[in-house]
Amino acid sequence: MLKFQTVERDSFFSRLDFRPKLYMVAILTIVTFAWESPLLQFGMAATITLACLAVGVKWGYIRTILLVMTPFYLLLVLTHAFFNRDQVMALQGYSSAEQLQKIYTFPESWPVIGGGYATWDGLSYGLNVMFKALTLTLVVPLAVFTTEVNNMIVGLVRARIPYKIAFIFSSTLRFFPLLFEEFASIIEAQRLRGLSLEKMGPIQRVRVYAKVAVPLILGAMVKSQQLEVVLQSKAFSGSPDRTYLHESTLKSADYALIAFFTLFLILAIYLMIVYKIGNFGGPI
Amino acid sequence: MPKPIAIFEDVSYQYPRSEKFVLFDINLEIRQGEFLGLIGPTGAGKTTLCLALNGIVPQFYGGRFFGSVRVGDLDTVEHPISEMARLVGQVFEDPETQLIATSVENEIAFPLENLKIPRQVIRERVPQALSAVRLEGTERKHPHELSGGQKQRLAIAAALAVQPRLLILDEPTSQLDPVGAEEVFATVHELNRVLGMTILMASHSAEEMAQFADRIVWLAHGEIVALGAPDEIYSEIELLIKNDLRPPQVASAFFHLRKSGIAVPKIPVRLPDAIPMLADLARREPNPDFDLPAPNKVTGDPLLSVKDLTYIYPDGTKALQGVSLDIREGEYLLIIGQNGAGKSTLVKHFLNLLQPTAGVVKVRGADTTEMSVSELAHRIGYVAQNPDNQIFNSSVRAEIEFALENLDFDPEEVEARTNESLETLGLVDVQDRHPLSLPRGVRARVVIGAILAMRPDIIIFDEPTTGQDYRGAQYIMDISRDLHQAGKTIIVITHHLYLMPEYAQRVIVMGKGTLLLDQDIRTAFHAREALRSTFLSAPQAVHLTQELRRSNENFPPLLTPEEIADYLTPRRMAS
Repeated sequence: MLKFQTVERDSFFSRLDFRPKLYMVAILTIVTFAWESPLLQFGMAATITLACLAVGVKWGYIRTILLVMTPFYLLLVLTHAFFNRDQVMALQGYSSAEQLQKIYTFPESWPVIGGGYATWDGLSYGLNVMFKALTLTLVVPLAVFTTEVNNMIVGLVRARIPYKIAFIFSSTLRFFPLLFEEFASIIEAQRLRGLSLEKMGPIQRVRVYAKVAVPLILGAMVKSQQLEVVLQSKAFSGSPDRTYLHESTLKSADYALIAFFTLFLILAIYLMIVYKIGNFGGPI
Repeated sequence: MPKPIAIFEDVSYQYPRSEKFVLFDINLEIRQGEFLGLIGPTGAGKTTLCLALNGIVPQFYGGRFFGSVRVGDLDTVEHPISEMARLVGQVFEDPETQLIATSVENEIAFPLENLKIPRQVIRERVPQALSAVRLEGTERKHPHELSGGQKQRLAIAAALAVQPRLLILDEPTSQLDPVGAEEVFATVHELNRVLGMTILMASHSAEEMAQFADRIVWLAHGEIVALGAPDEIYSEIELLIKNDLRPPQVASAFFHLRKSGIAVPKIPVRLPDAIPMLADLARREPNPDFDLPAPNKVTGDPLLSVKDLTYIYPDGTKALQGVSLDIREGEYLLIIGQNGAGKSTLVKHFLNLLQPTAGVVKVRGADTTEMSVSELAHRIGYVAQNPDNQIFNSSVRAEIEFALENLDFDPEEVEARTNESLETLGLVDVQDRHPLSLPRGVRARVVIGAILAMRPDIIIFDEPTTGQDYRGAQYIMDISRDLHQAGKTIIVITHHLYLMPEYAQRVIVMGKGTLLLDQDIRTAFHAREALRSTFLSAPQAVHLTQELRRSNENFPPLLTPEEIADYLTPRRMAS
């Protein structure tokens, strides 16, 4: 089940302040968006995956993400392989579609798609987009799961994010497991009323999940009102004018991470501009 | 007389979009240092009264508010809730929803941070508050790692850290097992007696309220019915029952004695007061016609059979260890034990929601692991604690038909069974209403009706009375009795042991994943050691009987106030 978790492993990364981690997420996002090279994107996605595993994000979680996202990734790659012509041509400076390397052509006799073809260029651009998406999906748990929620709030507030928004963010993470538990107990109750999910096709299952929405939303609404009453009774007003039990101070390791990612950004931009490294169809 | 710390003057309140006043003409003083108990059936206005003390009513909810509530020198309408939070600490019913931080120390620090208390002071107050509720050493733990009782004590610590003048607890023990409830009452009692903290506690636990409260305020339909010492309030047995409230069992026993003609000068409401009074009566000649009902032995082939069942959760927790038992057709079985004793884990094996690590569970001789959950639903109905998680349809009728349609019955059969269920549960008049628009007690009936339509042989009630008042709880148990009398096998899991003598025949006591005792209810409720080993306590009437048996070994092991009165009533009066 996909839900919020805090890694149990104590590591260099889990001891860092949340702010350099946010900075890291921002830099990696910029670079990932800027690069168009499938090879570099693969390297980036693999590095982030390994980093997640190294800091203690559970393989089961990553595997679930991969399983859930695989149909989407496949669709992405195939769509680019078959239909992305203009963009890949422009990126590589081709003047004619004849310059594209064909992989497969549908027989002319086939209705509608007959004569359509997939290209290596489109496929490699699709792979670039797929790895880009994977990196962006995994970089968030890398930062969020390695930070205790309260440290996250303090870090966000120190990063000048309004306290109310930081609190809503942390409450969402806090209540995710409760909602998932509720979802599981509703499905269980339906099975105990003779519902046989294992015998159902995908459309019937979607109908079942739709029925779960009513008690789930109702339960969430009741819980959110209860939470609001609890917060009010604890003098919560959302005002940033408050004190904090824990301090958020940047240490040398935090500064080192910020410096590292600043240099990484500069280097990535330099290599792209001067040597076209990272560009689609570039040397790497 | 101590100075009042909070004053209600002519307070009436109506929620927005509500036709009725939920509080009406309330005049009440809460005195400095007292433990004021707040009682009343569901819907009496107890929670609203509590929320009026920190201004959440009406400031948060809106609506029409008349009169005034003052805490200390502050009017709760004129001062913001955040300012009132300095004076009034509040603990709510649900231990899950009210804990909002991800560590114990942050939970306690949260209101202090909001009140801009300096960091150094917060650091001093966190250990102080934890020590007051005996939770030292848990600072770094996640609140989820704590037991139910510990969670409520943490909520109390978070309220205490603010150093409020008034601590309000709204049904803080209703979702806890007996040991958790005992922890909370002991903590609150200590805070009141040792630290002089003023307490307002709403609770249905009559025995504990009689023992700990200095005064009781009794609310019904938003109005104060009575205000006085527990001895005055809890001795009004007929009035309490008429208002859907449960008196302490000792008071009930003396009420029945008085009703049978024995001169009872005063109805005691606490166990220590009742023992000497009853000991005097017990010296007289008891009712010679009194016979202990013989335990009801059910014979025949087992309907459900568990053999050497062991279950280990994926994280390594051993939840069940070599459990063996047979349940026969037509039995009414009660499963008890503290939270974590393995009760629900055992029952989930009956339904194939969990599969044994070792051992086997059979229904009518068939291994449950070889049947799907939906197939088993035909034979075993399961009523879970929260009816709202079991309601998915837009009308009562559709809700009852839901299971039948899943089980592929033909339309005539669906209609016949639905009509039968609606009639049995008294739901014909509301069959077109949305289930969620009905009161909680009726919603529970809808869920039972939906399960009944599948005509299962066994019906399991898992904590069916949690969050219900006395009348609501009794109503559900009465349904279970009717179903039992109609030939169903009933299994109930509950912490409300005082309800069960009227219904259950056989009791399974579980502790640490093992079966500690399997006996008829009379033997089980008097098995003090077995109950204590799983942190359970028998109902007060059983305690009273046990005290009398200490000095008179011929005194029979009685279970209920009615039995005590019946046994002690001489023949002349009994006739």
